[in-house]
Amino acid sequence: MKRILLACSSGMSTSLLVSKMKEVAKARGIEAEIWAVAQDKAPTEMERADVLLIGPQMRFLKKKFATVAEKVGIPIDVIDPIAYGRVDGEAVLNKALELIGE
Amino acid sequence: MNKFMNFLENMLLPIADKLNNNRYLTALRDGFMVALPLIIFGSIFVVIANFPFLDRLLSEDAYAAYQNALGPASAATLSIMGLYVIVGIGYKLTQHYGGEAIYGGVVAVAAFLILNPQELDDVTGVIPTAILGAQGMFLGIFTAFIAAELYRFFVNKNWTIKMPSGVPDSVSRSFSALIPITLTLSIFLVIRIIFSFTSFETVQNFIYTIIQQPLTALGSSLPATILAVLLGQIFWFFGLHGQIIVNSVFDPIWYALNDENLQAFQAGTELPNVITKQFIDTFLVGMGGTGMTLAVVLLIFLIGKSRQTKELGKLGGPAGIFNVNEPIIFGLPIIMNPLILIPWLLAPVVVTIVTYFSMATGLVPKPAGIIVPWTTPIGISGFLATGNSWRGAVLQIVNLLIVMAIWWPFLKIMDKNYYENEKAKK
Repeated sequence: MKRILLACSSGMSTSLLVSKMKEVAKARGIEAEIWAVAQDKAPTEMERADVLLIGPQMRFLKKKFATVAEKVGIPIDVIDPIAYGRVDGEAVLNKALELIGE
Repeated sequence: MNKFMNFLENMLLPIADKLNNNRYLTALRDGFMVALPLIIFGSIFVVIANFPFLDRLLSEDAYAAYQNALGPASAATLSIMGLYVIVGIGYKLTQHYGGEAIYGGVVAVAAFLILNPQELDDVTGVIPTAILGAQGMFLGIFTAFIAAELYRFFVNKNWTIKMPSGVPDSVSRSFSALIPITLTLSIFLVIRIIFSFTSFETVQNFIYTIIQQPLTALGSSLPATILAVLLGQIFWFFGLHGQIIVNSVFDPIWYALNDENLQAFQAGTELPNVITKQFIDTFLVGMGGTGMTLAVVLLIFLIGKSRQTKELGKLGGPAGIFNVNEPIIFGLPIIMNPLILIPWLLAPVVVTIVTYFSMATGLVPKPAGIIVPWTTPIGISGFLATGNSWRGAVLQIVNLLIVMAIWWPFLKIMDKNYYENEKAKK
């Protein structure tokens, strides 16, 4: 079970991506829990995630989240802006799996 | 050009970083988030209490009874939103420091109430609700910051009463907060007493006169608004979330202005402010998202020829109705696209000016102080924000057409480029 957390300002635009990523994961038979939250919820939600991906418009939060991520011991990264614009679930899912270490 | 863009981005990123990671601004923004559900609840009942034509359908007495019955809903939430923002700030700031957050919340409220007048027109034993709303907003924010800081300071001093082991955790926690809270609130009481000897009489009066009034006057001006709007657009141009950065500074002002309008709206008097929270959220952001990109989606359907833009229109359209537009911003792309920079900056400024003067001249009612969720679709949001006026909705449509006209030539050039590239590839 992979637990993939996405965060942006209010969890709205990342949730668009979440639904696309879920479709891809299902089609490929990957068991994954994928969900999006508002940035203020991200630090607490990280505790039950395997990886955190940040919306590119919130990339200035990476430093702040990185300290929490280090404590929890999960990788984090900023989502590629082009993949974000295309709502490319496949690319972002691949990135997440790569970060988890698949 | 690329070098220049890189230079600008390297300059903006640290600003965004500073503003967004500043613990006070973060606590302030999150504090407003805490109050938001209550604000929306109150707003819904202001809308219901002021449904159009009801005043003509019902008799005067029946209409008054109807409004009186619904009144407490907004009076207990929207009208005294400052109170909830203060709890939120005290809580979030204390939580940030890893302290017992709920005590941070209550100590902030108590400190705020200590600083405020506790009488109204010689009636004692009352707390004027006006100071819990717009009027007290700034004092409330500062008080919450200082109270939470003092509380943390005293907790860290560790002058707490230690309970023997075996006492339940929650019991000992309630005692451990005793000394820090007592010391913190005593300081605020002393401040209150000192101010009672000045010509301001209360701290509330002092902050309101010295800070809040000048700041809101400045914030309600057209140039300051254009500047705030432009800053948001520039941040977004570099793919940084503009509102979350700019609003953390402007929200207290915009909400305070909003609340002044609400008081006037409910009292049935002339609304004082054009620039309010809803001016920004409904007439600028509420048209498909930042930069009013619903107009861009419509234009794509109208004139788009290339596969790339047409696909994007389909992808970004449905979310755009609810003012979520990241697919358009990152997909068109708007970010770092020199050609798009012109309509991106020009359209919001034109719309700001058009909206401002439509309201200032009375052509369209000013925002009534109702907080409409930012995901409300265009038309509905304009109607609700202006206190159930169809003219608010019409203004949004006019603005949408203006944005489409400004974008037209630029989108056409861009789409043509994409189209020719696609043809060349085939």
